[in-house]
Amino acid sequence: MGRIVVCIKGVPKPGTVKVDKETHTLRRESAELILNPPDRSALEVALRLKDQANFEVIAISMGPPNTIPVLQKVYALGVDDIYLISDRAFAGSDTLATSRIIAKALSLLSPFDLVVMGARSIDGETGQVPPETASLLNLPSITYVKELRFVDGKFIAIREDDFGEEEVEFPSPAIVSITPEIDYVRPPSLKRLLSLKEITPKILTNAELNLDEADIGLSGSPTQVAYVFEKTFVSRGEIFEGEPDELAEKLIKVLKEKGFLA
Amino acid sequence: MAECIFAFGQCFEGKLHPASLEILTPLREVADRLNKRLILIGLADDKEKFLAIPELKKLLADEVWYIIHPNLKHLPDDLCEKVLVYLASEHKPYGIFFPATKKGLSVAPRVAGSLKTGLCAHVNAFEVKNGNLFLLRPTYGENIIAKLISQRLPIMATLALNAFPIKEAEKEPMIKEVHLPEGFDWSTKLTIKNFKPAKKSPSRLSVAKVVVAGGMGLKSKENFQMLFELAKILNAEVGGTRPAVHAGWVNAERMIGVSGVSVRPKLYLAFGISGAIQHTVGMEGSEFIVSINIDKEAPMMKMAHVGFVCDAPSLLRALLRKLKAQD
Amino acid sequence: MLIEFPLKEEHKIMIDLIKEIGEAYIKPYSLEWDEKEAYDATPIKALAQADLFGLIIPKEYGGLGFGTFEMCLAVEWLSYFCAGVSTTYAASFLGAYPIILFGSKEQKERYLPSIAKGEKLCAFALTEPQAGSDAFAIKTTAKKDGDFYILNGIKQWITNGGIADIYIVIALTDPAKGARGASAFIVEKGDPGFVVGKKEKKLGLRASVTTDLIFNDCRIPKERLIAKEGMGFMVALKTLDYARCGAGAQALGIAQAALEVSLKHAKTRVQFSQPVYQFQAVSHTFAEMAMRLSSARALVYSVCQYIDSGAKDFSGASAMAKCFATDQAMWITERAIQMMGGYGYMRDYPVQKFFRDAKCLQIYEGTNEIQRNIIARELAKWIKV
Repeated sequence: MGRIVVCIKGVPKPGTVKVDKETHTLRRESAELILNPPDRSALEVALRLKDQANFEVIAISMGPPNTIPVLQKVYALGVDDIYLISDRAFAGSDTLATSRIIAKALSLLSPFDLVVMGARSIDGETGQVPPETASLLNLPSITYVKELRFVDGKFIAIREDDFGEEEVEFPSPAIVSITPEIDYVRPPSLKRLLSLKEITPKILTNAELNLDEADIGLSGSPTQVAYVFEKTFVSRGEIFEGEPDELAEKLIKVLKEKGFLA
Repeated sequence: MAECIFAFGQCFEGKLHPASLEILTPLREVADRLNKRLILIGLADDKEKFLAIPELKKLLADEVWYIIHPNLKHLPDDLCEKVLVYLASEHKPYGIFFPATKKGLSVAPRVAGSLKTGLCAHVNAFEVKNGNLFLLRPTYGENIIAKLISQRLPIMATLALNAFPIKEAEKEPMIKEVHLPEGFDWSTKLTIKNFKPAKKSPSRLSVAKVVVAGGMGLKSKENFQMLFELAKILNAEVGGTRPAVHAGWVNAERMIGVSGVSVRPKLYLAFGISGAIQHTVGMEGSEFIVSINIDKEAPMMKMAHVGFVCDAPSLLRALLRKLKAQD
Repeated sequence: MLIEFPLKEEHKIMIDLIKEIGEAYIKPYSLEWDEKEAYDATPIKALAQADLFGLIIPKEYGGLGFGTFEMCLAVEWLSYFCAGVSTTYAASFLGAYPIILFGSKEQKERYLPSIAKGEKLCAFALTEPQAGSDAFAIKTTAKKDGDFYILNGIKQWITNGGIADIYIVIALTDPAKGARGASAFIVEKGDPGFVVGKKEKKLGLRASVTTDLIFNDCRIPKERLIAKEGMGFMVALKTLDYARCGAGAQALGIAQAALEVSLKHAKTRVQFSQPVYQFQAVSHTFAEMAMRLSSARALVYSVCQYIDSGAKDFSGASAMAKCFATDQAMWITERAIQMMGGYGYMRDYPVQKFFRDAKCLQIYEGTNEIQRNIIARELAKWIKV
């Protein structure tokens, strides 16, 4: 039985995150976290492979303790095991430090056939962690995968590239990032939801990962925020107020004057 | 030492991706300010096809280095990584920059991981101050731009698509082929079994002359649909903000902003869009901006050339009614 | 609403799950399915993957082993999103009940696990062109032939026809004995001589599939007989006793949705310078709707709990729950259209769909006239003279 590791992320529910005024990084521990939507598609892909070819599916997530409810919900979707990678020392990691941490966790969970991640997270939106982690582990990375097939013991990815669509065959183990174009994702299972109170993830701290402090957290992140500023806009045009009807007339007039309407 | 700046030239079948040309515009300025040579690195499988690329002689780089090998045809990520890492260790560039194309976003992280250096995403501006290079990018929260600095060389970043215009050089760059050493490992673990060229050209939205866009101020998917009717009348393309896409009101291909499409139309009509920076970076280059929003103080209202303080769905409905009556 | 029924944690978890499924897989599409009269297998797949088809299947066969109350809660909340989908779901339980209540160990082992996983849908086939309310007038025959039975006849208006894999068919093994000559059989899709007729065009519940079933020398192994020959009507009527609450639960979900949509409208629609809710004709109508819905809900819930407490004889009780709740749903949805005025009549708005969906509930699973017969009959047993 092969093993697939799905790396998921808890992202702040839009509108609930606060930015740390000193480090200018997200204060994730204070936010209400939801499952990063593209990761739902990644999970679906892994679970379909489990249905098809009996893979063991493990979900891992790097984040503060408030990630645990997210992992529990992931368990309800049907994975075999859940892990939280968490340590104060990991806070403030950029994508290089994050990739190091995830790469180490993956090496502790090997052997595995495949690592699946969502193509990007809706908060950071860099999409860098899957290929960067692959590079650190010396594994192939296949990004923007629309469809993943397992045929005759081999993986084939259909992916969208800039110039067209590729069908890529690759050896395992490998890291794959999935675009959220999947047409159907399964709901959680009632049986698992009813037993959720008894389910807790296994926790991996830096005691288990044993990474050098210089390689993780803020100290392990080569890119630092030097300064943030608010982009202010000074009003540059006319503002009209009134009833919808009269404003619509005015807008049509403006568009005609500018030549956008006949 | 650190005298050059690399820019990734993404080629395929004798074509250079326009985004690779766009990024040369800000990099040209950076190179001039920091007194570095700007080098476009092209990886390709066919020497003749590469040299026949029309834009080659007019691009803004000081030099163009090209590497040819049959395995580079589809630019497999792991092989591109090896080649670029080799060049980086040989020439120790000050910076390595990629366009935020799918290829750029797939290869840059592998290179950064190998070189153990930072990689900044969505950079849409640079600042040079006291000999230091700052990378500017929009960040979380409302209307905040972050200035990032890298503590390690090479400085690496992926540059936002459609954020810079393509400019032509007055002087031809020096074009040379780079040969990698005898024992270089040209293998790749990826096998392309099938390739279907893209049927559609770059999204019509990104080249549209008129864009009508909607945000959460439209309140519902049904209201958002009215934008498509308006687009037909104005011969425009429809765009949406990130929250509108996440709410399922419009397809992700129509998202305007960070990690979405950047637009530079002649007319931009924003219905119920507050103007959070994640969105405005994708459209601030528009020539004439009209904003319809119930909130007079919304950033988009300040950015607009003309603003209408009104409930967006109501004005949109009234507008459609009047335009249809005119026919 | 105005009354919150106390629910256990597990009920709340189940309802939240159904609401999640309703929002993601049903709500965005229900009007479109109604308009196109299209059956979409996607929400059914989601319900299957969520373990919801196993609700009342005993645990030893892979189900959750829940009772009538839980089944009704699930059906109620699914109906809130689309009664067409809840009909497909509830009708499958209707087809499963005969196996659960009367099936042999072999039959339970053979069929219940895949029913619990939602891999196979069920259907229940009693009605025929000449036998609706007069169920005893069925003519389909099942003739014993060695180790087989041969079925001949037509079943009419069967929910899940064509999409189900398992069909419970009531047929006459001994026509001479009348009602005592009927037997219940399990017919599977693909059995020789069994075809499904054309899909019916309906007033409502258009996301569900209704067809005829045609048996033309349909040959099935004798192991497909449920219980014994002659027990057909006992199996059918007992099954309907259990399933009636489900129809009542559908009524609750539809009525709740209609009430919410029309109430929201009444509070925002301004005429004569005020929201129309301010007019007593309107607000009193909503007060009436609330009372009727709440009493229907209280009746359905208490009958469910009565059945789950182990009651032996609950035909009258379940008939009351079905008849009352479905009549209230019809009243409430009709008034909901009226309270919304023109908007209630337009097919871009859901209220007209609730009205059309609710109508079928007064007719199927025993018309409300037949329900009243049952109630009256059971009531008569109460007073001895």
